[in-house]
Amino acid sequence: MPYTIAMVSDFFYPQPGGVESHIYQLSTKLIDRGHKVIIITHAYQGRTGIRYLTNGLKVYHVPFFVIYLQTTFPTVFSFFPMFRNIIIREQVEIVHGHASLSNFCHEAILHARTMGLRTVFTDHSLFGFADAASILTNKLLKFALSDVDHVICVSHTCKENTVLRASLDPLMVSVIPNAVVAENFRPLAKDEPIATPRQPSSGALSPQRPLPLETVTIVVISRLFYNKGIDLLIAAIPRLCAAYPYARFIIAGSGPKAIDLEQMIERNVLQDRVEMLGAIRHEEVRDVMVRGHIYLHPSLTEAFGTVIVEAASCGLYVVCTRVGGIPEVLPLHMTRFAKPEEDDIVAQAGSAIAAMRAGRIRTERFHEQVRMMYSWTDVAERTERVYDGIAGVLSEEEFYGCVEGEEVAGEVGGSSSVVRGRSGVANFALIDRLKRYYGCGVWAGKLFCICVVVDYLLYVVLEFIFPRANIDVVRDWPRKKAIDETDETEKLGEEKTWIT
Amino acid sequence: MPAPICTLRKLEPTPTTVSFTVSTRAPIETLQARLIHYGFLAVRFLLVAQVLLVLWTKWDSTMVHSNQATIPQWLSDTPTGQWAAMLANAAAVRYLVPICVFSMWILVRREYTEESLLVLRGLGVETTTSSSTYLSTATTRFIPTTSIQDIFIHEAFKGFEVRFYLAIVVEDEEDVVVVFPVRTPAYSPEIKLTRTRLYCRDE
Repeated sequence: MPYTIAMVSDFFYPQPGGVESHIYQLSTKLIDRGHKVIIITHAYQGRTGIRYLTNGLKVYHVPFFVIYLQTTFPTVFSFFPMFRNIIIREQVEIVHGHASLSNFCHEAILHARTMGLRTVFTDHSLFGFADAASILTNKLLKFALSDVDHVICVSHTCKENTVLRASLDPLMVSVIPNAVVAENFRPLAKDEPIATPRQPSSGALSPQRPLPLETVTIVVISRLFYNKGIDLLIAAIPRLCAAYPYARFIIAGSGPKAIDLEQMIERNVLQDRVEMLGAIRHEEVRDVMVRGHIYLHPSLTEAFGTVIVEAASCGLYVVCTRVGGIPEVLPLHMTRFAKPEEDDIVAQAGSAIAAMRAGRIRTERFHEQVRMMYSWTDVAERTERVYDGIAGVLSEEEFYGCVEGEEVAGEVGGSSSVVRGRSGVANFALIDRLKRYYGCGVWAGKLFCICVVVDYLLYVVLEFIFPRANIDVVRDWPRKKAIDETDETEKLGEEKTWIT
Repeated sequence: MPAPICTLRKLEPTPTTVSFTVSTRAPIETLQARLIHYGFLAVRFLLVAQVLLVLWTKWDSTMVHSNQATIPQWLSDTPTGQWAAMLANAAAVRYLVPICVFSMWILVRREYTEESLLVLRGLGVETTTSSSTYLSTATTRFIPTTSIQDIFIHEAFKGFEVRFYLAIVVEDEEDVVVVFPVRTPAYSPEIKLTRTRLYCRDE
């Protein structure tokens, strides 16, 4: 059953990043499956208005006030008139918000429920519980997710985190991982020369299976922030360089920790062993990765870690910290886990370097295995199932695995009936919505209820000021039939004809 | 206040010409509607004249140094003239003038907008936008076929809405010409685009 879906997030291209590419890839695959998808984001510098991307993916860059790190100012109601207009003219049925720091997404979910639409939220990140900023964010998340139909998390760790933060019923949270476009992350072919985009002088690094006495290259591609564990990296590199004279490092990325890294290189005189590439574009990631043998990922927190999948797809052995959702991502033979502390990282990376140099790790089949494990088509299929579930196409038992009221013994029965007063789907009655919000807290619950009531009144006023009859309904992009996975080649051909 | 619904009219006087008119007022077709329309115009004109007369009378009465009235006797003797004099005597200048200006503004204001696009095959297009008052004429612009680079329909954010617009890209001009700038037709005008293309260029 084809749906019309609006993906709403503050984060979208031209800004690069994981959430951005997730939204784009998921949308294109959903379009391939016969749905209609639009993306609503805020206007970026030099990009305001409505644009079409490949395949008829329509992007609304709504002019909006941006405060910090591309996040819009939380005004709760000011986005409603524009949002309503877009939803009506595109005849959207499901609103899918992304990223918990995106104010646009939370507002859209609130308004969508007021307008009587199904909503899904995808969480891409992990948060703490202790510091002031997290407490505030978590309260807002709880507000936004009180009345959402379904939540998708990128890993089981992320699910656990989100369920705790927003006090959700775990049944209404699904785990759908990210994926990679494996074709873009191929290992180096036998006769392919190494692309050296920035430093042509470092051509001595061979991609071939390291024989004894040859160098082992370790790649780190990460934004250089504190939470990416750059401090651990700074501590580990001198020790690794001292212990393994044949080890080399390539570090790509930029951020506030770049200075510290450079100081470390200067202090230890490692200029010929550690290469800093600075910021690189996403297309160049593969070219950098294939220059190395081991990918080191010292992150302190990570919901999924798409980059380690990309590294494994490029045929790199992965050494990473055992934090967040990372242990769920790759099978054991591709990875080596370390505790997020200096000594253990040095020990694990060291043993990986030694094993790699001795030729004990075979990475030839990594690409093929990753390709089988992660594909966006699969992600889109599973997301579609979530849409089916919340739209009531799938029965409650089929979707949730159990029916309300006859829950497994031992679980707290009845508590979720207020939250999810469903007969298969959550209903839209204002009183039921208010009940869901009221449980958010002693004061917060009442405040949220006021917000919801104001939102509802605003909706009624808008119906009067901008009547539905005056809003033009857009024509759909010429749709193609839903494609089976079998005729992949046919699909590619068809895609080309649509683009031209 | 709900926005008025606009209507689109198409006129084809000759096989090579076509004009599209978008208007926010209801089309005048029947004799009755026509009579009402002209009747209202006449009333409007008379009211404007009355307001002017009131102002004139006030001018006469306040100019103390000239004993001679500038209004001709025949006009001030009519019931209209007497009524104007009564009004002028009753109110002070500082109330009368703003009230008169305001009522003038109400009276000469055109409460509908009418925009049209005239397409002459092989020659070009002419866009017309009606003025906001009855005192000035409509603004028109002719764009010859030779300087038209492209015609397209796209969407844009305007106020709290997303609207369709028909735009013409003119050679050597930085901005595109938006054809129906004030009101866009209440349905997606794709069909019109093809027609416009057909009429404008011999494709």
